[in-house]
Amino acid sequence: MTAAVSLRGVTKRFGALRALDAVDFELAPGEIHGLLGENGAGKTTLARVVAGLLAPDAGRVQIGGREVRLGSAAEARALGVAMVHQHFSLVPRFTGFENVALFNAEAWTPRGGVRDDYRGRIEARAAELRLPVQLDVPVERMGVADRQRIEILKALMGETRVLLLDEPTAVLAPQEVEGLFAVLRRVAAAGTGIVLVAHKLDEVLAAAGRVTVLRRGRWVLTREAGGVTARELADAMVGVGGVAAGLPGGGSVLAGQEAPAPAIVAELKDVSAASVSGAGLRGVSLAVRRGEILGIAGVGGNGQRTLASVLAGLQAPDAGEAVLPAEAGWIPQERDGEGLVNDFTIAENVALAVHAKGAYRRGPWLDWAEVEEAAAALVGEMDVRSGAPGVAAGTLSGGNQQKMVAGREFLRSGKLLVAESPTRGLDVKATVAVRERITALAKHGDRAPGIVLISTDLDEILELSDRIAVMVRGRLIPVPPEDHNPAAIGELMLGAGSRGGVRHQADARDRPGARETAG
Amino acid sequence: MSDQSGTPRVRADLRPALGAAAALLATMAIAAALLALGGHSPAVAFGALARGAFGSWHNFISVTLVQATPLLLTGLAVALAFKARVWNIGAEGQLHAGALAGVAVAVSVPASSAFLLLPATLLAAAAAGALWASVPAAMKTRMGVGEVITTLLMNFVALFLAQFLVHGPLRESRGVFNQTDAIPAAAQLPTLIPGFRLHLGFLIGILIAVALWLYLARTPGGFRIRAVGASPRAAEVSGRFRTTPVIWRAFLVSGAIAGLAGWIQVSGITHRMYEGLSPGWGYTAIAVALLARLHPLAAVLTAIVFGALSAGGGAMQREAGVPDVWVRGIEALVILAVLTVDRVLQTIDRRAARGSPRAAHSRA
Repeated sequence: MTAAVSLRGVTKRFGALRALDAVDFELAPGEIHGLLGENGAGKTTLARVVAGLLAPDAGRVQIGGREVRLGSAAEARALGVAMVHQHFSLVPRFTGFENVALFNAEAWTPRGGVRDDYRGRIEARAAELRLPVQLDVPVERMGVADRQRIEILKALMGETRVLLLDEPTAVLAPQEVEGLFAVLRRVAAAGTGIVLVAHKLDEVLAAAGRVTVLRRGRWVLTREAGGVTARELADAMVGVGGVAAGLPGGGSVLAGQEAPAPAIVAELKDVSAASVSGAGLRGVSLAVRRGEILGIAGVGGNGQRTLASVLAGLQAPDAGEAVLPAEAGWIPQERDGEGLVNDFTIAENVALAVHAKGAYRRGPWLDWAEVEEAAAALVGEMDVRSGAPGVAAGTLSGGNQQKMVAGREFLRSGKLLVAESPTRGLDVKATVAVRERITALAKHGDRAPGIVLISTDLDEILELSDRIAVMVRGRLIPVPPEDHNPAAIGELMLGAGSRGGVRHQADARDRPGARETAG
Repeated sequence: MSDQSGTPRVRADLRPALGAAAALLATMAIAAALLALGGHSPAVAFGALARGAFGSWHNFISVTLVQATPLLLTGLAVALAFKARVWNIGAEGQLHAGALAGVAVAVSVPASSAFLLLPATLLAAAAAGALWASVPAAMKTRMGVGEVITTLLMNFVALFLAQFLVHGPLRESRGVFNQTDAIPAAAQLPTLIPGFRLHLGFLIGILIAVALWLYLARTPGGFRIRAVGASPRAAEVSGRFRTTPVIWRAFLVSGAIAGLAGWIQVSGITHRMYEGLSPGWGYTAIAVALLARLHPLAAVLTAIVFGALSAGGGAMQREAGVPDVWVRGIEALVILAVLTVDRVLQTIDRRAARGSPRAAHSRA
């Protein structure tokens, strides 16, 4: 049988680094092929080469048995290759229907309109794939899972022989992941080869027929999914003798409460708050004690952002009571442009937090010597590699940037620290390092802050948290210790459960997923 | 750390200066080519230009530095605003507003003491410039209207207002020319060196440059301006301060300095306000600021460069027969060259620093 995609010795360089180094890869028609590797291993680069978005520097690419030199995405598209990017490429104001039609040239009339029969074809295709899509809702009002289904439908409208999905599960709750995989299996059964780029081992093993592991741009192994364990794959990803301790899925939970409960550092009582985008807060109550990590799980866009800005004191509640320390640390979700300024030195980034504090002033002047001392101490304490006060933050790796931000936010407030998806986009080693630093901060005894860990990564929540709550549509549902497992929490994330005495409106059931309703 | 100066930005980094030099060289090369194409000898033209600007103490002090003064002040105004990512294209209008206010106070307040009148006029000019900048500031912060358009349009309002005033209410009492009465001696800035036209305004410009540099590098308020300019969102999230007051401050201080530029020119040189007071200093100021990489101290140098261009332009016309408009063309070329060189340097930096595709590739 002819391979849907075949790469031989494909090399792609960026400057001095080989993102792909003589990689061989083969995708059979109708198979789901998991592509694994750490950040920077070359997974996305490989997918982008196949999708025609990057031209390889060396090697041969065959699609459907024909040798091609892909120069553009349009060419790849004409050959039946479609890619669903990690960051969706949808027009927010357009409806689902309009987005699908926009991407597919065969939908257009010569004068720029949309063919009358195209709507029917879209509906038929969606029905055939059993893909529940909202065609008449503007994409900006859809939840992530709905948007993803529009992306997938968009990609599958033509004669798609190869479907590339870049980290499609990163944004989904466990149950939604199941739904996605069911769709992918149907697509594959119809003969389309699917490349599933992912970093969660168990998910890939569940969905894929074969898996390929890349490490630092090199091919490491390709195996039948049935014949390999998660452990073997993990070792292959990081190299033998890697960082197994930090791999997700383990889940050492429940540090338990010590006898004399430490002081409460922050408390929300029935707090409601509006949000400009996404969900606000609706009657949220919580209390954080010194030295504990309170994990807030949930699908993105369910009010986490509002919760973080209320806790950090950037937003006042519309209703309810918030008892907060004068200042709270906040490790925001975006490093670049929120947590730090790339063009600023480490000292200047530290100054962002302390420039208004009396201890760092001398008369009208900002006491840079003092700031630099603090920055140097922070670099040491947080183990910021290749960092020094005068080094531009933009030159640090993501993990070291995040360690710096964490240290700075601890410097800002020793009482409350809000960590919002602190390891998002980091590779395994950096993830481990950042998690270590965050747990270390919680162990400062009398000086330890209370930490609120907001994360869409359930493994991260389970691994680090002393207590767990789930955020759904602006409400916070506490999870009893006996339910500290992915299945139970996943159910709550989708708003299916009603634990913690939280009432659930009918709208929570009408659509599995995290649709953000306005208001 | 090796950095003992206490300022965070002092890394032994000469790249900005090299970049500026490269931009100037590129401009000169292009200008030379264009001059040659136009049938002029670049050597003769540049020679005349250099002599006009630097040929004698008189040329340097009484022409070049005098020309540099309004360029320095407006350049500083633009640099400060740009530092906060406030794209103030309105220095020209703010300059006119300042000149008008200064003249109005000078001719209407019957004070004979320079110690009273000069500060009063300077204050009035700064306030008028700030007022002129406050309209775009309010539109930006309250309604989200882009300041590039509003500051630019306010220039025309100021120019027409000046035209109206010198034709009407502020017209000289003789009623001969369309200009104001001469300002009293008490409102005139003294000259610095006997026998030369250079006046106290140049020193004021240098003082403001030093003050702005200290402000930006060493004070919490200046740090906030830099933070907002670098990343407004990070300023809010990590800096925990509201950006609106910082943006207002940038607008107002920028407008005030530009306002001073206008009045200082009248007070130090022309002693009257008339139509066409400025040949477009407020626009050349953008080139001054960009070539200085928005650094206030470097702006002193770049203002002198552009002052020299404008001083030498006259000589180039007289001696080499090259029309004065060439100088305007060169100014525009400098802006383009600075922007291009910046982009090239950024690319080189990125290649060198990353040496790897981390950014392109971090999602893999």
